[in-house]
Amino acid sequence: MENLDAARLQMAFTLIFHIVFACIGMVMPFFMVVSHKKWLNTGNPIYLKLTKAWQKGVAIFFVTGAVSGTALSFELGLLWPEFMEHAGPIIGMPFSLEGAAFFVEAIALGFYLYGWNKISPKFHWFTGIIVGVAGVASGILVVSANGWMNAPSGFDYVDGKFLNIDPIKALLNPAWFTQALHMTLAAFTATGFAVAGIHAYQVLKGKQKELHKKAFKIAITFGAIAAILQPISGDISAKDIAKRQPVKLAAMEAHYETSKGVPLYIGGIVDTEKKEVHYKIEIPKALSFLAFGDFNAEVKGLNDFPEDEIPNVAIVHYAFQVMVGLGGILMLSGIFFFFTNKKKKQWLHKKFFWKLFVFLTPAGFLALEAGWIVTEVGRQPWIIHKIMRTKDAVTPMPGIVVSFYLYVFVYSVLTIAVAWLLSRQIKSLNNSSIESI
Amino acid sequence: MIYVVLFFLAFSLLLYVLLGGADFGAGILELFSSKKNQDITKKTIYRVMGPVWEANHIWIIILIVILWIAFPAYYKVMVTSLHIPITFMLLGITLRGVAFVFRHYDAYEDKSQYVYNWLFRISSLITPIFLGMLFGAMVSGEITTENTTSFYVVFMASWLHIFSFLVGLFFASLCTFLSAVLLIGEADEEGYPVYVRKATIATIVVVVLGFMVICYGYFSNSYFVKGILNNWVSISLLIVSALCLFPLWFFIRKGNRIYSRFFAGLQVVLIITVAVVPHFPNLLITKETTLSIFENSAPDAVIRVLAISLLIGGSIILPGLFHLLKSFKLIKILEKK
Repeated sequence: MENLDAARLQMAFTLIFHIVFACIGMVMPFFMVVSHKKWLNTGNPIYLKLTKAWQKGVAIFFVTGAVSGTALSFELGLLWPEFMEHAGPIIGMPFSLEGAAFFVEAIALGFYLYGWNKISPKFHWFTGIIVGVAGVASGILVVSANGWMNAPSGFDYVDGKFLNIDPIKALLNPAWFTQALHMTLAAFTATGFAVAGIHAYQVLKGKQKELHKKAFKIAITFGAIAAILQPISGDISAKDIAKRQPVKLAAMEAHYETSKGVPLYIGGIVDTEKKEVHYKIEIPKALSFLAFGDFNAEVKGLNDFPEDEIPNVAIVHYAFQVMVGLGGILMLSGIFFFFTNKKKKQWLHKKFFWKLFVFLTPAGFLALEAGWIVTEVGRQPWIIHKIMRTKDAVTPMPGIVVSFYLYVFVYSVLTIAVAWLLSRQIKSLNNSSIESI
Repeated sequence: MIYVVLFFLAFSLLLYVLLGGADFGAGILELFSSKKNQDITKKTIYRVMGPVWEANHIWIIILIVILWIAFPAYYKVMVTSLHIPITFMLLGITLRGVAFVFRHYDAYEDKSQYVYNWLFRISSLITPIFLGMLFGAMVSGEITTENTTSFYVVFMASWLHIFSFLVGLFFASLCTFLSAVLLIGEADEEGYPVYVRKATIATIVVVVLGFMVICYGYFSNSYFVKGILNNWVSISLLIVSALCLFPLWFFIRKGNRIYSRFFAGLQVVLIITVAVVPHFPNLLITKETTLSIFENSAPDAVIRVLAISLLIGGSIILPGLFHLLKSFKLIKILEKK
């Protein structure tokens, strides 16, 4: 394996891992405080039990997210020293603010986890809110740094030098808002459906049904609302990318020939040799409309871009299809949940309802990871769009493949360990009585 | 403005060494304890460190972020030539963090505790050794910035030598020392004499290892150590540090919580100052030259924004952190007396 490929794989692998843990760590606190609030309001001990069960989950995921985040803060430099030397100062602002937000989150979590019966109940609950808000803030800030790689701004690039650096302009780069909005909604969708799915499974198994139904409802409400809003954010992102990174849009749609009134391809197998897509479903003129709001707009095709500025079309196209497909299913399921809850309460006693949500457990995270593959692979061959190529940023140290395998091994073991730990949490939760809190 | 940034860099370093170090040290103490004392230590650590340990380890993120934003040239040399020890250190941080949480949040206490415990103890020892080795390597004069030489010379010989290993051991012993002194004030009747004894032993180990670092550096003609020995500020601070061992020793023996902690913290401040002062700002000593931390530092606009962010962030974080420490009784001892 080439050093560059190994470095990219390692980065991809660690990010894929970190994103899952970071998302759960930033969204689950919200479920936790809702349940906590319901306990404070109703005094129903089930909510207290649920809150305590969730807080353990938050603690486990927060730590895994924190240590993998620490590793990432070093890995950026270990793998891409050339990038960090130049980009580090420019995108320093989101990272330093992220560090601060993360710190606030850790402090608040310390209060929350250890504050039961020690600090005033209202303040205790409020620290839970801070955990969530600080988590989302740090998520947004990190995404802003990624946005800068897609839409570099806040400097002048003269003769290979980065001059007149303006860190605030870099923070508020043209991509930050669309990306941050899309990612925040995705985090809520993915975590909401994943947590809801786990509790739906427990409802099916029939132990502690009342608790799991309450848990399901809190989680799915967050997930469903986010999933229903997501297409709007997706549309904003598509229009933004059409303007800023037309080559990425063309790769997402495997669109080769520049033309007007371009159809939208659904599915299909990309033939990169012949530069065409087989077995696809075409929606006439839809791509032109989605990208520019005009059915006859011209969409630039891949053939019009220099050969060495085109990302891996097949990967980007498939990942995009997966993201949109799953996103659509999640949106419909979200609508289905609200419909059932309002109009067809009797379905809540049917197995098919719970089975559906069990089936959807991983869907949100799969869509989220696919989305990141679209944006990251779609940015290639650039590490900083149109400024620096990924291959020029990679570390001179040979043998990165060894460290790649090391990370794969360690993180795989960790993933299994965390999953095992969670299953034990649920088992102990199911076997305990409500009174034993 | 760059001095504001530098202040926060030094401040994060100090807090990481003090708080994170005490945290690592707790694991090392547990490693070098009899079975009965291990259980006592485990419980005490959880009670004392539980609420704060995550915050303790964020200082290293702040540290590294400040480095890469403000001093990118310096950062680049570090992450390139010390890739391998940094990777080991990260591995240690990762395993230690998850082991700590797993052993307290696993729903069932069964044989798996055995795995978590050993993972926690061993990674608690290995991580600070590698952290110390990183610093040792940075000032050892073995890093080469020339790209033409072999893999071994560039990526291994830069850190794989006796000097950096001694510094690593020294740092690990310093962590143990800090932790033992901290735990004196937190232990119950049963644990109290244990930590007084351990603090005494750790102090001796720190002094011996510190002496070995200096001696080895002197006899192997280390530019870094010679600088320390030829600088009157660092020499006098070394003497102060040696003299302060007596009150430290006295208060550890008496089990005085406040003063033993104060003098332990003072030792750390003195040690860091001694290490940094003679060569400042040339904090990277390579084979060919020394590199000033100010070399190619970020442009003024970046430094200004960073300094302001740090001031704002600090004014939010520090009171919060203080309140956290206070709420969970770490500082309560101060109030009691």
